[in-house]
Amino acid sequence: MLLGRLLILVALCLLPVLARAEPSELRIGILAFRGAERAEAEWEPTLRHLGANLPEYALRAVPLDLDGLAGAVRDETVDFVITNPGHYVELEAAEGIIRIASLAASAETVTARNVASAVVVRASRTDLRRLADLRGTRLAAVAPEAFGGFRVAWREMAEIGIDPFDDTSGVDFLGFPIERVVEAVASGAADAGIVRACLLEQMAAEGKLRAEDFRVLDGRIPPGGGCLTSTRSYPDWPFAKLAHTPDALAKRVAVALLTMPVRDGHAWTVPVDYQPVHELFRALKIGPYEYLRHRSLGQMARDYWPFLAFAALAALWWLIHVARVEVLVRRRTEELKAAHEEARRRRDEMEHGARLALLGEMASSLAHEINQPLAAIANYANGCQRRLTAHTDPEGVAEGIGQIATQAERAAGIVRRMRAFVRKRVPEPHILDLNDPVREALGLFQAIAARRGVTVSAFLADGLGMVRADRVQMEQVVLNLLQNAADAMAGRDDRRITVSTWGDAERVRLSVADSGPGLSAEALAHLFEPFFTTKPEGLGLGLSLSRGFVEAHGGRLWAESGPDGACFHFTLPRLREDAS
Amino acid sequence: MNCGNCGSPDPCVPTIHVVDDDEAIRHSLAFLLKSLGVPVECHPSAEAFLAARKPGKPGCVVLDVRMPGMSGLELQALLNRAGETLGIVFLSGHGDIPMAVQAMSDGAVHFLEKPCNDEVLLEQVERALNRSRDICGRAAAAQAVQRRVDTLTQREKDVMALVVQGKPNKVIAFELDISIKTVEVHRAHVMEKMQADSVADLTRMLMATA
Repeated sequence: MLLGRLLILVALCLLPVLARAEPSELRIGILAFRGAERAEAEWEPTLRHLGANLPEYALRAVPLDLDGLAGAVRDETVDFVITNPGHYVELEAAEGIIRIASLAASAETVTARNVASAVVVRASRTDLRRLADLRGTRLAAVAPEAFGGFRVAWREMAEIGIDPFDDTSGVDFLGFPIERVVEAVASGAADAGIVRACLLEQMAAEGKLRAEDFRVLDGRIPPGGGCLTSTRSYPDWPFAKLAHTPDALAKRVAVALLTMPVRDGHAWTVPVDYQPVHELFRALKIGPYEYLRHRSLGQMARDYWPFLAFAALAALWWLIHVARVEVLVRRRTEELKAAHEEARRRRDEMEHGARLALLGEMASSLAHEINQPLAAIANYANGCQRRLTAHTDPEGVAEGIGQIATQAERAAGIVRRMRAFVRKRVPEPHILDLNDPVREALGLFQAIAARRGVTVSAFLADGLGMVRADRVQMEQVVLNLLQNAADAMAGRDDRRITVSTWGDAERVRLSVADSGPGLSAEALAHLFEPFFTTKPEGLGLGLSLSRGFVEAHGGRLWAESGPDGACFHFTLPRLREDAS
Repeated sequence: MNCGNCGSPDPCVPTIHVVDDDEAIRHSLAFLLKSLGVPVECHPSAEAFLAARKPGKPGCVVLDVRMPGMSGLELQALLNRAGETLGIVFLSGHGDIPMAVQAMSDGAVHFLEKPCNDEVLLEQVERALNRSRDICGRAAAAQAVQRRVDTLTQREKDVMALVVQGKPNKVIAFELDISIKTVEVHRAHVMEKMQADSVADLTRMLMATA
């Protein structure tokens, strides 16, 4: 019992030793892209040959897909691998596997460069002859990671500037069996199919298609002979050992492979240079060169520093420009505001000046107008004094004093009206009855009319409707028209001015008609231009300002002339009842 | 305002007319001028004055130079043409020398600037009134003499014409080829009808009508 236990213990302790001392199993990882069974079947002759040459080993094929194989290499659960050139290059870079033999297609062509692609189109597509013609077409291929197929063709296309993903109508990856690609081309589902070289010839030989129905783009036979290809040729599948696999064992395996007779089209030759595969990967920035696509910022900065510097400079310049523009805009805006303010001030000054000028033209008349009540006051005062001295007519004295007060009020009213007219002010539109400023203007004008012997008739319509306007400006307009009319009639016998207002639903209108000589064609043409005047003392601003005022209130001012004299009209929009 | 149009049976009682387009001026002038104790009439325009005037009536016109319609100067010219004896005192708001010269040379009494000194105004108005009254008086007297002359027969007029020439009765008889007795009868009728006290008195009367 004790002995039995001891034996078990010893056995347990020896187990790992025994396992290590038992190299009988030799695991060979095989890329099985078309399933494990097919892979095993495909590589069975090689394995059988190796088994015969290495009798002390139990050979075991481990069919795996791309990721599985990579994992097996990483975990060192296989001793050798057979994989496609692309995958080999990746594993060589990542895991340090070393090729010990390369597949040769046949005994005759022991060169190992026989992986190439054919881009197949229907022979009837005469528009497709070169790879360059693929731009905009629909492609079919087996799989994006298939080396002897899509990737090899991709490189050729990339070299002539066609990205199969961006510059075509798309790529359909149809998977295995590879014949599907040819079928898609034959049916027209795809314009071109990417297949490994020799497939077409193989299928023709099997009677699956007629070779003349298809064409290989840029088709050529590689220098070593073989099938029509559209691409350059790459080394074929390698047989590689892992880093941990003993060199002695590797050497025996290599010898066995190189001495293997051609079986089922397979033969092994000395390992070839896989540099072309590296170049392809680098060119396409895939596999071990995928990092080329995702370069770090630092790398980019190092690689492109002149561009970055330029871009930074440009950005800086742009920032400065934007800031400068902002500053300029702000400054110009300020200037514009100031200019507007200045212009407004000047305009107010000018309007004020024009009112002063108008009043200046009326000065002597206004002096007369003020003189009248003063003269009356003097008369009343003197009359009262005489009555008081003579001690007669006390009622007369009382009446005279009352009249003095009335006349003083009248004089004050004239002064008030004048001051309101010439006061410096900012125009302020109000809702008003146009008749009001017209009456004011007529009041101021009365003196001139009397002095010049002008008869003024006013026909001011009732219920004129309200307008929105500045009172003083309207007064100025009317006074201007009255003054012009009076001036026009100087030296004529018949001196009449007719002022009328009337309104309709839309607008309110005022007309000032005189019995003067009318307007000349030249005057009519230039009447409303600033500084046009026919009066020696005139400023020539009255009518141009008047028109400005009227138009600013949405109205119109115009002149008509006939044999009976001139007539000036202006209209203002009538406010709707609900607006007023 | 009613300026007190006090008509008088005496043809030589004058009236003051105030012609001015400004109502206050018109009224205040009337107020002042009434202290002269003379009837005052107011007229708002030259045309209104012309419509209201009684030709030949003495008086004074206080006249504004500038008025709508007929101006003061135009009214003056019109009155002069009509042979009116009204004295005119011009009032002007604006010292207008050419206008004043024109008015004075056309016989205005005075040309005053408003507001005027009341002393000067009243003085000038009185002067104008007196002048007008004198003219009126003289005219009235002449009319009275003429009326007497009209009562004489042709022979009496002939005798009177020779009497005022200072001719003696016998020369008159010789020239008219009538008897001295007849001359004496006519002469007595003339003196009686003409209400003359003496030949000198008769002569003065007749000179006034000339």
